[in-house]
Amino acid sequence: MTTPLLDVRHLTKDYKGRRSLAQRLTGVPQTVLRAVNDVSLSIERGEILGLIGESGCGKSTLGRAILRLHEPTSGRVTFDGTDVTALQHDALKTMRRRMQIIFQDPYASLNPRRTVAEIVGLPLKLHGLAASEEEVRAKTGAMIEKVGLKANQLDRYPHQFSGGQRQRIGIARALISNPEFIVCDEPVSALDVSIQAQIIQLLLELKRDMGLTYLFISHDISVIGYLSDRVAVMYLGEIVEMGPVDAVLSRPRHPYTQSLMSAVPDLDAVGHRGRVRLKGELPSPLDPPPGCKFHTRCPLAVDRCRTAAPRPESVGDDHIAACHRLSENLSLLDEARP
Amino acid sequence: MSDTLLSVRGLRTVFDTRAGRVCAVDGVDVDVRRGECLGVVGESGSGKSVTFASVMGLVRSPGRIDGGEIVFDGRDLRKLTPREMRAVRGKDIAMTMQDALTALNPALTVGEQLAEVLEAHDETLGTGRSGRARAIRARSMEMLGLVGIPSAENRLGQYPHEFSGGMRQRIMIAIALACRPKLLIADEPTTALDVTIQAQVLELISDIREKLGMSVVLITHDLGIVAEHCDRVMVMYAGQVVEQGPTAQVIGSTSHPYTRGLLGSIPRLSMRGQPIHPIEGQVPDLIDLPPQCRFYSRCTERTQACLAPVAMHEAGAGHMARCIRVGERTQ
Repeated sequence: MTTPLLDVRHLTKDYKGRRSLAQRLTGVPQTVLRAVNDVSLSIERGEILGLIGESGCGKSTLGRAILRLHEPTSGRVTFDGTDVTALQHDALKTMRRRMQIIFQDPYASLNPRRTVAEIVGLPLKLHGLAASEEEVRAKTGAMIEKVGLKANQLDRYPHQFSGGQRQRIGIARALISNPEFIVCDEPVSALDVSIQAQIIQLLLELKRDMGLTYLFISHDISVIGYLSDRVAVMYLGEIVEMGPVDAVLSRPRHPYTQSLMSAVPDLDAVGHRGRVRLKGELPSPLDPPPGCKFHTRCPLAVDRCRTAAPRPESVGDDHIAACHRLSENLSLLDEARP
Repeated sequence: MSDTLLSVRGLRTVFDTRAGRVCAVDGVDVDVRRGECLGVVGESGSGKSVTFASVMGLVRSPGRIDGGEIVFDGRDLRKLTPREMRAVRGKDIAMTMQDALTALNPALTVGEQLAEVLEAHDETLGTGRSGRARAIRARSMEMLGLVGIPSAENRLGQYPHEFSGGMRQRIMIAIALACRPKLLIADEPTTALDVTIQAQVLELISDIREKLGMSVVLITHDLGIVAEHCDRVMVMYAGQVVEQGPTAQVIGSTSHPYTRGLLGSIPRLSMRGQPIHPIEGQVPDLIDLPPQCRFYSRCTERTQACLAPVAMHEAGAGHMARCIRVGERTQ
């Protein structure tokens, strides 16, 4: 087997709560929010790994911890054979040229006081990728055209563009340093359907032309299912199921994946259909339930689920799931069929 | 009693801005029948929310209703005095907003906000002060129970920030339903919610609709939601209705190129590996629109004849589309 481009082992990210001096002196314990808990995954060169989960499950934190935009608490990230988690300043900066991110909000992620030329050209300057101002300008213009804008729009400001166009600017900024790996953090969630399709199409074309590898984060299962090669499903900071997209989405083994699949409104199903009803909502990550974290909402939960956390097990070719009742081959989807 | 609960004809709502007059809703005709669920689909700026804010009489300056007729249960709402309109709003027609956190008052408890609606509209609660207070409390608890909020007794004394997003959306629905309206307008009720919670909220609305026999207008940008929950659907583009009809027909035998474009833009699990077909270009600027078909600049099927104003054409039983080429396709 070839070595994967990106390999993540036992990655954990904690956020520590603040305590006042009085609280510290009186021994009030510090609150710890474990946003990502012991996540391991790998991505092959040229692959798209889709990461699905509901808000607050830690999927964006995972994406940022991989790039060390948020420093991981423990665990290791290896990129093309280099341990990213051990890199110091300059080495990390050099590595960042090869690993980039596209953000969700095309309004908040672009500096309103900089022109498109400045925003998109900055990585070239930071990484010393252009010898002169003229070269920066030429490369920036070419990149802008590659993402479907016009070179004569270089001197405009972000507010002069629509949401979809701004997202193209964000994509140009991420790609101008000619990276190999991109974390796409909900890049189409803020866009209208017809614009969303344009951006998805663009990302797929760029991936093909530039030989990119994506970690594609989204809460939209249809988007993930459409473009991913493999899928990872996250719940409360942990990956509960991961595998090839066809296997995970058409034969999901974890009850959480099954309920997600049944909750997606389906165009192909006019009229009502059976649905897995999940009880309750996502528990607070500040106080996660013991045992399997999904047991508070799981229709299949038994006593063991309340005390012991299940380990990920292989359930097929390159397909893993973490559930105590896998061997029983239960499916919530079958029961829900009318 | 007529079968039609709400009938809107030729509605035109404009906003006078410094840049010019924006015609956000331009000649919208729509009927909502008793007991049905009508889906209203469109992208941002298509006029779907403004249409129903106009029905509610909630369009604020610089916006105003410039023409048209809004007949609800036999009365023309545009002819009512503000006082009469206040008696209808919240009682006979209720609306839930997209963002529950900003729509609820952060300084009042949930119980106080529920009581406010009941105080204003419900005459059946008796007249004695303590009896009335008790009746209001009982009804408030009943409403929270109806929308699936457990331990209603304690929850009534809590503030909106103490609830999660899904729970807040339920509270807004509870407030909207407190006076048993004949029509519920739900504006993007699940856009801010996760899919598993979204499914819970939509099923709740469907259940209550059946239980109370009310009509629902579901404003959404998600055609999947429409396919599963709505009897009929109306598609809006740049301030106009471009297609309207029974859901199965609009989705199954789509008659307007825009609707077809929308359906083609949605990534579906069943379409893996096949290209999706985005609609190229962008929604036109609503200031100074040319008289031609509004979808003209983005349409792949346009002809010279599309440069003239386009009326609605019949595409099937109860199925209309604003496209001159409807006939060619149905043959």
